[in-house]
Amino acid sequence: MISLSSYLVISLFLFLCGITVMIARKNIIAILLGIELILNASALNFVAYSRFGHNNIDGHIMALFIIVIAAAEAAVGLAIAIRYFQNRETIHIDSATQLQS
Amino acid sequence: MFLNVVFSLSALLTVSGALMVVVTRNLIHSCVFLLMSLLGIVGLYVTLNADFVAATQLVVYVGGVIVLMLFAVMLTGGNNTKEVLSRFGFESLPLMGNVKTYFWGILSAITMMSVAGNLIYRVAQSSLASVLEQYKSSVDEIGTKLLTDHVLSFEISSILLLGALVGAAIIARPLGSKQLNEEK
Amino acid sequence: MEYDISQILPIVLLPFGAFVLNALIVKKIPRVAVFLSCLSIFVSFLFAANIFKDFFFSKYASDFYVHRVFEWFNLNGGNQTFSVKMGIYLDNMSSVMLLMVTGTAFLIHIFSTFYMKEDARYGRFFVYLSLFSSAMLGLVLSDNLLSVFIFWEIMGFCSYSLIGFYFEKEGAGNASLKAFMTTRVGDVFFLFGIIALWTTVGSVSFVDIYSAINDGLLSSNISILIWSFPVVTVAAISIFLGTIGKSAQFPLQVWLPDAMWGPTPCSALIHAATMVAAGVYLSLRMYPLMQAGGLLIPIAYIGAITAFGAATIALIQTDIKAVLAYSTISQLGYMVLGIGVGAYNASFMHLITHAVFKACLFLSAGSIIHSLHDHHTHAHVQEMPRMGGLKKKMPYTFIAMLFCTLAISGVPLFSGFVSKDRILGDALLMATHNNLYIIPALLGFGGAFLTAFYMFRMMFLTFFGEPRDKELFDHVHTEKLKWNQNVPLLILTVFTLGFWYSGSFSGQGLVKVYDAKYEWFQTLIKAPKISEFQNYTSIGMTEKFTSNEIVSSKYEPDEGETEEESHHAHSVHHVGAIISILIAISGILMAWLMYIMKTVNPGWWVTTFTRWYRALQNKYYFDDFYIKGVIQKLLLPLNRTLSFFDMGIFDRYAIDGWAAINRFFYKTSRWFDNVVVDSILVDGTGVSVRFFNVLLRTIQNGKIQFYFIVFIAVLAGYIFSLKPLVN
Repeated sequence: MISLSSYLVISLFLFLCGITVMIARKNIIAILLGIELILNASALNFVAYSRFGHNNIDGHIMALFIIVIAAAEAAVGLAIAIRYFQNRETIHIDSATQLQS
Repeated sequence: MFLNVVFSLSALLTVSGALMVVVTRNLIHSCVFLLMSLLGIVGLYVTLNADFVAATQLVVYVGGVIVLMLFAVMLTGGNNTKEVLSRFGFESLPLMGNVKTYFWGILSAITMMSVAGNLIYRVAQSSLASVLEQYKSSVDEIGTKLLTDHVLSFEISSILLLGALVGAAIIARPLGSKQLNEEK
Repeated sequence: MEYDISQILPIVLLPFGAFVLNALIVKKIPRVAVFLSCLSIFVSFLFAANIFKDFFFSKYASDFYVHRVFEWFNLNGGNQTFSVKMGIYLDNMSSVMLLMVTGTAFLIHIFSTFYMKEDARYGRFFVYLSLFSSAMLGLVLSDNLLSVFIFWEIMGFCSYSLIGFYFEKEGAGNASLKAFMTTRVGDVFFLFGIIALWTTVGSVSFVDIYSAINDGLLSSNISILIWSFPVVTVAAISIFLGTIGKSAQFPLQVWLPDAMWGPTPCSALIHAATMVAAGVYLSLRMYPLMQAGGLLIPIAYIGAITAFGAATIALIQTDIKAVLAYSTISQLGYMVLGIGVGAYNASFMHLITHAVFKACLFLSAGSIIHSLHDHHTHAHVQEMPRMGGLKKKMPYTFIAMLFCTLAISGVPLFSGFVSKDRILGDALLMATHNNLYIIPALLGFGGAFLTAFYMFRMMFLTFFGEPRDKELFDHVHTEKLKWNQNVPLLILTVFTLGFWYSGSFSGQGLVKVYDAKYEWFQTLIKAPKISEFQNYTSIGMTEKFTSNEIVSSKYEPDEGETEEESHHAHSVHHVGAIISILIAISGILMAWLMYIMKTVNPGWWVTTFTRWYRALQNKYYFDDFYIKGVIQKLLLPLNRTLSFFDMGIFDRYAIDGWAAINRFFYKTSRWFDNVVVDSILVDGTGVSVRFFNVLLRTIQNGKIQFYFIVFIAVLAGYIFSLKPLVN
């Protein structure tokens, strides 16, 4: 028996895992992985609602856009990470504290 | 029935993949587990009748983003675990030593094969499944909506992609000799 | 004869100016200071002689007087007036007094140049003498009780300074304090009397008081607790208490014998002639007040007791100055007795004659003391048991002393007889009229006998017989006539003769005053008739006076009395004169028998009346009573009680309590300052800054993951806060 709530639970779990990854891992690339998990969780949420709640196709379109955005953002983020690595020889997240007051 | 099974398997893949992303220390492993999770999400999309989205996810995410991440990991020397596998035997072969990888890979392959096989068989068996209401594809609708209701976001997203492309290219440009000389 | 104040005021101002000048220059040029003092008093004497001549040998009426006032200050405000007027009042009595004071003061100044010459503080003595002379002269000239009081106090201060002149001796310091304090007791009452008069009459000028008595203003009553007295009685008692203090009368006579610690010229001037006479002078001026207050009988009693009592104590004294001191007290008692029996004129005459011969006696005693120099103790000898036979070595002093002793004993032909006889005659007259006067009369005659006795005892012990201390006697230089040692004595001696003051043996002749010097004294010095002062208006100080009607008044000794009364008075006076002569002769005879012929043994008297002897030696235990009884048992405990109140209660609670309140406020302020201001506000600001610093530092740590956590937390908070909206 598949209901809306199961998809929501999965989405929630993915979201929490993504947040945990973002908080807990010290590698910049790993944080980007977390971001991907979060985005996917939200996309799943949209699609689930479009299927169970509203019964229209807007959720799918939103999911498509999310995918597009995630790809673009992953590309740029990775480019930044590579440049950061080229400058500092490390991609440990705690070495990026130049905004510390 | 079929739907439930697919749902359960997909959900299992997704959840366990996400969990393993959190847990593993190895960066490459976490990329691969993310790949697994994304595959699970594809299955979930299928159960939600979002066929186009599932296909797109499969192509873009699985095929593009994760590969890109792996490239970045390799470029930044991310995986710093220096644990040395044994020089002889099965484990000495690169990427071939881990039993878990084998297990999960085989399981995934079997699942995919069965799913794909079943699908192809059914399709081959019946007439155009798309004529049936419940098997209607969502591509038409998505296409129509994209160009009528959501045309603005469509166009903007194209510009965004252009920006991202150009930006990523510029940011990750290799250092020219002048810059190298300055840094030295 | 025109008069203005420029002929009167220099009498006072010259010695005062000498005092001021000397006070500045005496340390550097003492001889000039001494000369200035003597010169100033001599010039005052000339002025006084001028006034005397005008008053007595010119054509003034016998009740003429010069009175000028000026306003010293006033405290007028609104419609309330209070003005203090000072002025001079010059009548016959003042002019005679001025002449006496300036004359004796001048001669004493001259004597002091001899007596005090070797003293280290030679110049300072004259500074005090000048101040004293100016004060006494000011008192004589003053016209109101307030200026009398001012000069009175200045003289008290000079007496204090001069008694304590030899301040190295402890006795001198104690004696000066005793003199000052005892007269102070009298002065308090005097001041009280001045206040009583001022509030009732509105002014304290003599003439205003006389007219007020005449108007009967003073008959209203003062109530003190449950008794009420007429104002005039209260004022009279108070002012007479001032006289008691200053003139060493019966309860307050204890200071005068101790005053002999001062140098002998000071004793001569102050404690014989002038200051102690000032009290009698005051009572004479206030005689109408005493009369209206009905105080005459008590005054007579006090005078008589003093006269007799002091004479008894003088019987056993061995110090030559002590004998003279007690005789002074005794004679002052006679003067007061004279006031009490109504013999205004005789009392004043006794004041003048006593001043002359007592000053001479003291100066002679000074001359003797100065010449008797003990080489062992390097002190001068004053004890009569060590003297004797000085007649051969000091003839001039002997003559001076002899004449004065004859005068004081009341031997006819001398001045003392004239005045003392008149007093005793009047006492006898009053005794025949009023039984209450019998005791004063008896005491007076007894005192006269004793006076003759002890004065001649002194003479015989000092000058006659064999010298009792051979060594001392041998060192005495034979006396030569020296201008500043003997001549003043001899000049004073001349004036102890009787004919200067009265023309007849008994002093009771009837003569005119205009062209004779007989009986001038009795004519011109009379008790003021208060009825003449009614409607009196005061005249400004600088107005010249024009000579009044120059009516010569006839001397009528029986003025105002009927034929029978005057005959009675004459016969009583004759009886009194005879009794006086008999008493004087018997006194001298007794002394001669005791000390020259040695037939009567004084030792017998001592052993028979041992208790009396001891009482006399202790001066009737007056000193013991005052010191042990009054001071130690009454005043010191009172002092302690009051000081307990002041220090134990008032100081402790009011002052220290205030300090405790201040301490409390201090603690509160300190708490407030430390805790509220310092800790909370000042340190708190720093702490809060540091706290926020830490807070912001941890938030702003640049770690991306931390920012992400914050972001999630805020988002979660936002979502949870939206929960009620979501149903």
